[in-house]
Order: sequence, then C-alpha cells, then structure tokens
Amino acid sequence: MNDSELEKKLKAVRGPALTADYQEAFTRRVLSNLRSAPPTAMPLRCSRRPRLAWGIAFAAGVLLACVAGHWHLRKAADPDVLADAKLIQETLAMFPHRVRAIVRDERGIELVLSDGEDVPASPPIYVRICDGEKCASVVTFSGQEIQIAGRELTVLAEAGGGIILEGNQLAWSSSGGGASNRGLKIQAKLVETTLRPTL
Amino acid sequence: MVDTDEDIAWVEQSREGDHVAFEALIRKHQQMVHALTFRMTGSLADCQDLAQETFVRAYRQLDAYQGTAKFSSWLYRIAVNSCLDWRRQEQRRQRLHQDWGESLDSLITDTDGVREGEEGSREVQAALLKLPAKQRAAIVLTVYGGQNHAEAAKSLGCSETTVSWRIFSARRKLKKLLNQKEGRYE
Repeated sequence: MNDSELEKKLKAVRGPALTADYQEAFTRRVLSNLRSAPPTAMPLRCSRRPRLAWGIAFAAGVLLACVAGHWHLRKAADPDVLADAKLIQETLAMFPHRVRAIVRDERGIELVLSDGEDVPASPPIYVRICDGEKCASVVTFSGQEIQIAGRELTVLAEAGGGIILEGNQLAWSSSGGGASNRGLKIQAKLVETTLRPTL
Repeated sequence: MVDTDEDIAWVEQSREGDHVAFEALIRKHQQMVHALTFRMTGSLADCQDLAQETFVRAYRQLDAYQGTAKFSSWLYRIAVNSCLDWRRQEQRRQRLHQDWGESLDSLITDTDGVREGEEGSREVQAALLKLPAKQRAAIVLTVYGGQNHAEAAKSLGCSETTVSWRIFSARRKLKKLLNQKEGRYE
C-alpha cells in the first residue's frame, strides 16, 4: 500500500451520522449544561479547572518553600531563581509531564499545571522579558501558550536550539531578535537539564 | 467547512453571554466535532460525551480565542485535547480495550440517534484505534482536520518535528495493519 492509497482509505472513513432529532437534543443538552453553570470570562491564565486550584496552591507552596530554602543557602545567587536548572529539575520531577509553565513576575512565582500528564517531554525553555525595570520570567516547553509580561505568547523551540516567541503583539527569535518586540528586552534559552526523557 | 464572518460574530455574541449565538455555533460544528471524537475513541457513547465536553470547554474558554486561527481549528484543538484527557482515564481505557478484544460490534450500534458511517470504514477505524493516542490525534488533525504539521503541533502542544515523526510512525503502522487485513504482506 502506498501513501496515496492509505490517504484514500483514511479519507473514506466517515464519522457518525447524526439524526436531526439527535442534533436537536445534543444542542439542548449542551446549552442546558451551560445554563447550569455561569459563563467564565477569566483570562487564559486563570481558566484552569477549579479542582486544580488546590493542586496549584499546594505546588506553589512547595515551590516557594524550595525557593526560600534555596535563597537561604545562596544569598548571592542569580537574582532570577527560574534560571537555576537544578531548581527547575526538582520542580519538574515533582509533577512529571504536568508542568506547563513556571512563571515569575511581580506577583511572585506561579506554577501552571496541566489537568493530566499530557505535557510532551521536551527540553525546558527559559524566557525572560523586561519592560523597562519591570521583568517577568517563565520556564515552559515548546508549543505552550503562556502569559508573561501582560502578553499571550506561544513559545517554540527550533531544531537548532533557537527559541521563537510569537503572539499578537510580539514576534521574536533568539537567532535574529524581534521584528516587533516594541522595545522589550528579551532573553530565551533552553534550560540545561536531563530530567525530562525524550518520547 | 468554511469559516465565515458569522462564526466570528457568533463568538463575539457568545462572549456577551448570548446562548442563541453559541447555539448557532453548536449547530454548525457539531457534526465535525462528533466525527473527530468518534475517530479518536471508536465509541459512539463516548463520542457523544466528548462532543458535549468540547462545546462546554469551548464556551468557557471563549475569551482565549483570539481570532487568529479559524474557529473550527480552535474547536478541533479543544476536542482533541478532550479526547486525550479522556484516554488517560484508566477505567475507560480498560473498558475500551475489553470492548475491542471482544468485538467491533459496538462501533455500529445505534446510540440515541448516532450511527456509525459506512461498513467499509470499520477496518480503517479499527486500525486507527490501534495507534497510540498521540499518533492518532496527529492523524486526525492533519487528515480530517486539514491542519498542516505546524498547526497540529500547536494544537497538540509539541514541536513540529514531533508531529511529523508521529505522523510518519502512524502511517507506517496503519499500512501494516491494513495490509495484514487485506492479506498483503510487505
């Protein structure tokens, strides 16, 4: 079987046929479900399931404890704890395949976890964005959408190790700088860690 | 299905809490979402649950839709991730495996007005279900969702290289499975 034969066979697979009655009932069921729960108009960063709140709070607590301990031991260390590969390794190990991002901004450190263990294994990426004196940093993975410095960005890793940031108001590449970085100071790099195995 | 300005208008109205507008989006896209969830699960009952969950999730995340991608692509992404989450629920996965071990009959069982498509597609659907979920998701997004590898990578939260590799592996496996079924050997 060649590629075109396979493509033809795949395309021939039909989805389920929905009767008119079913479509009507389905629509009513979804709307009924929505009416029973108020719509949320929260930003992306806060739109995780409520049941995750406890997990995130716990994780943030653990992380803050780690950070506090780390700071106690290393007072003269790097001012951005997210640049510390060891700390990142330890945090990722606590929540394998669930950490979407670790964000540090003026509000402190936040751990953004996935509902399940569905974050693909790939090298962590460190991103730091400074808008004047105001800086925010994040550790995340290629393909993840994050909120940092008030912007929604998609972080992508290139095959050669370069990093690309793209969003509505920003496009930046570690290899060529940004076409529209609006005066922001941006730093991005792969975090040297061996904890996340390849697929 | 072509996205039109009306999709964007309906999204805007839905954000304001207009359920009639969201109802229009459901009516327009429900067939596509059911097809995707069915291809991902192979179960009519689960495909209905996941289609519902997809629309509920979409409504709750409407503020995250920026209009840079087609609404249908955005919905596809939510549906695929709902299916991947679903698969991780161990009990359901075990039940699915048991179902497949016993019979493929569940595929053509009428379930509240939802019928599987033509008989001839069952073998291909069965082969799809033998793929690892992430490979299946990559195939569903690119073959049925019309997404390119970059879009699929974004939908699945992984690199384009990973998607390309998953599609390559999936195609190789599908050919093998379908050749075996037809009595052909490579």
